[in-house]
Amino acid sequence: MMRKLFYVSTAAFWIAVAGFWIGNLLVPGTDTSATAAEREIGSAELARHAVPQDCWMAIRGNVYDITAYLPDHPSRPSIIEPWCGKEASEAYDTKTKGRKHSPEADALLPKYRIGRFVGGG
Amino acid sequence: MAAAAAAVRQWSVPLLSCVVPVGFAVWAFPEGLPPIRAAGIVTGWLGCGLLLVSLLLMLREPRLAAWLGGLERMYRWHHGTGLAAYLVLLLHPLLLAANNLPAARVAWQTLSPFTESWPVWSGWLGLLLLMGGLVTTFIRSIRYGTWRWLHALLGLGVLTGLVHLILLGIDEPVLPILAVAAAILGWRLIRGDLGLAARPYVVTSARPLAARSVEVVLRPLGDPAMVTPGQFVLAEFGNGARYRGCGEFHPFTVSTIANRDELHLAIKALGDCTTRMLAIEPGVAARVIGGFGGFVDPHGKAPQFWVAGGIGVTPFVALLNAGPLLHPTRLLYLYRSEADAAFLPELRATAASDPKFTLHAVETGDDVPDLGPLLPTAGELSRAECYLCGPPGLVAALKSALAARGVTAQHVHYENFEFR
Ligand SMILES: Cc1cc2nc3c(=O)[nH]c(=O)nc-3n(C[C@H](O)[C@H](O)[C@H](O)COP(=O)(O)OP(=O)(O)OC[C@H]3O[C@@H](n4cnc5c(N)ncnc54)[C@H](O)[C@@H]3O)c2cc1C
Repeated sequence: MMRKLFYVSTAAFWIAVAGFWIGNLLVPGTDTSATAAEREIGSAELARHAVPQDCWMAIRGNVYDITAYLPDHPSRPSIIEPWCGKEASEAYDTKTKGRKHSPEADALLPKYRIGRFVGGG
Repeated sequence: MAAAAAAVRQWSVPLLSCVVPVGFAVWAFPEGLPPIRAAGIVTGWLGCGLLLVSLLLMLREPRLAAWLGGLERMYRWHHGTGLAAYLVLLLHPLLLAANNLPAARVAWQTLSPFTESWPVWSGWLGLLLLMGGLVTTFIRSIRYGTWRWLHALLGLGVLTGLVHLILLGIDEPVLPILAVAAAILGWRLIRGDLGLAARPYVVTSARPLAARSVEVVLRPLGDPAMVTPGQFVLAEFGNGARYRGCGEFHPFTVSTIANRDELHLAIKALGDCTTRMLAIEPGVAARVIGGFGGFVDPHGKAPQFWVAGGIGVTPFVALLNAGPLLHPTRLLYLYRSEADAAFLPELRATAASDPKFTLHAVETGDDVPDLGPLLPTAGELSRAECYLCGPPGLVAALKSALAARGVTAQHVHYENFEFR
């Protein structure tokens, strides 16, 4: 009984994993290039969205509104929240002990992109 | 008082198995998340809690076993909670990925083991260790010695899973959990497997009992283990002049407790380790943990019906040796051939002298016997408590045969000696 449950569930698990993988192969590549009607965002505007309830960040020349993502972020809020409203490329690239964020994170970012970071005012 | 103790024995394990995982899930319940992602997180915590309970249930401490209703029961729940943990932990990554499903690419990225990140890798490693440990658990043909090491992968899987949480940055409630898990694993390793909880004994005699069976007598060298008749102990034997111990603790029922603290074990050569024991010699050092179990209640109020298969007769011999029977008791003793049947002369002598004891000894040959004509009628069984001890196949066959005669599960007691 237990043995059967184990084998059936393990097989179902791998089938599901394969399903996710095939699904990923079937969709066309994620569009990481900038969209046509680019919104340009400067430091001043960025700085107005510096609280967890309204959190923008600039990373590698792009601005992301990650308010909706914040509760999903795996690490403690105290690690990510101070970067709201700021240019955070360096923090992003040097997550814990100088390691970069994963491609998983890279793949998530475009979902939250709202414009191009132009720096200055 | 006795009722309270019985309630603790009955409810402690089911309660622990619910309260710990649900407690974790409630404590760490994520608010304001999409339901699928929340479910993904909750399954992770449920799995974590169930694994901790499963770890606790593999400790071989006599006192703990007494609170938790016996080692045999602990092992059954150890298996159940372990498998339940595995099932919810399989759901955990799938749900987290499914939450991102509107974008198939992101969903795969969440799950993909190829993502360059330790939080994901450690999660996968933990899950694969659990999977590998469980696969080997379910393969019966693996030798016990090898099997134990493979089973230990499960412990490593638990620790890796907790490291996965820490790498995710959720270190606050996790560090104490990691400490508890590591403490339980260390406790089991040091007190159980390495034998720090064991009492020192020495083999004073060993006599052939039947074909491929010996009776070994052990004398304590210090404080004796606390054992009552019908219980079993975990024993490990050292090396003698000729005999080589196999360095593992094995369960054996104590057939007699003589001269106050001397333990008699009847051992049948069933595997590598027990086959070596046929050649055991006086002077060999032994270590004993226990006692555990004791599934027969000699003080019960009803007549008793005992069924023994092969060396499974040992606990019944222990009860007969411990003193006069209080109630009419009938023993159905099944063995392949007279030469295999341990304790047969002793049992016949008791049956001749004690009017309360009836022996029904049956030589079955190598075939599985037809139990129908061997069991008492439904009428005779209606008031009896039934106690079964023998190979799992026999116990299973007996359980259904007794149920068919109207004996409810409540009146059927058995002890499986399956320690895997
Ligand atoms: C509580 C308990 C205590 C134990 N204590 C000890 C101990 O102290 N020492 C020790 O060495 N081992 C002990 N064991 C282990 C266990 O009893 C043996 O593994 C088991 O009895 C096999 O022994 P055997 O080779 O003599 O049985 P077998 O020779 O395989 O069978 C014994 C009898 O059972 C019948 N039988 C076997 N399989 C079936 C089946 N599927 N359906 C119907 N009838 C069947 C056979 O026909 C035969 O008559 C204990 C087991 C239990 C449950």
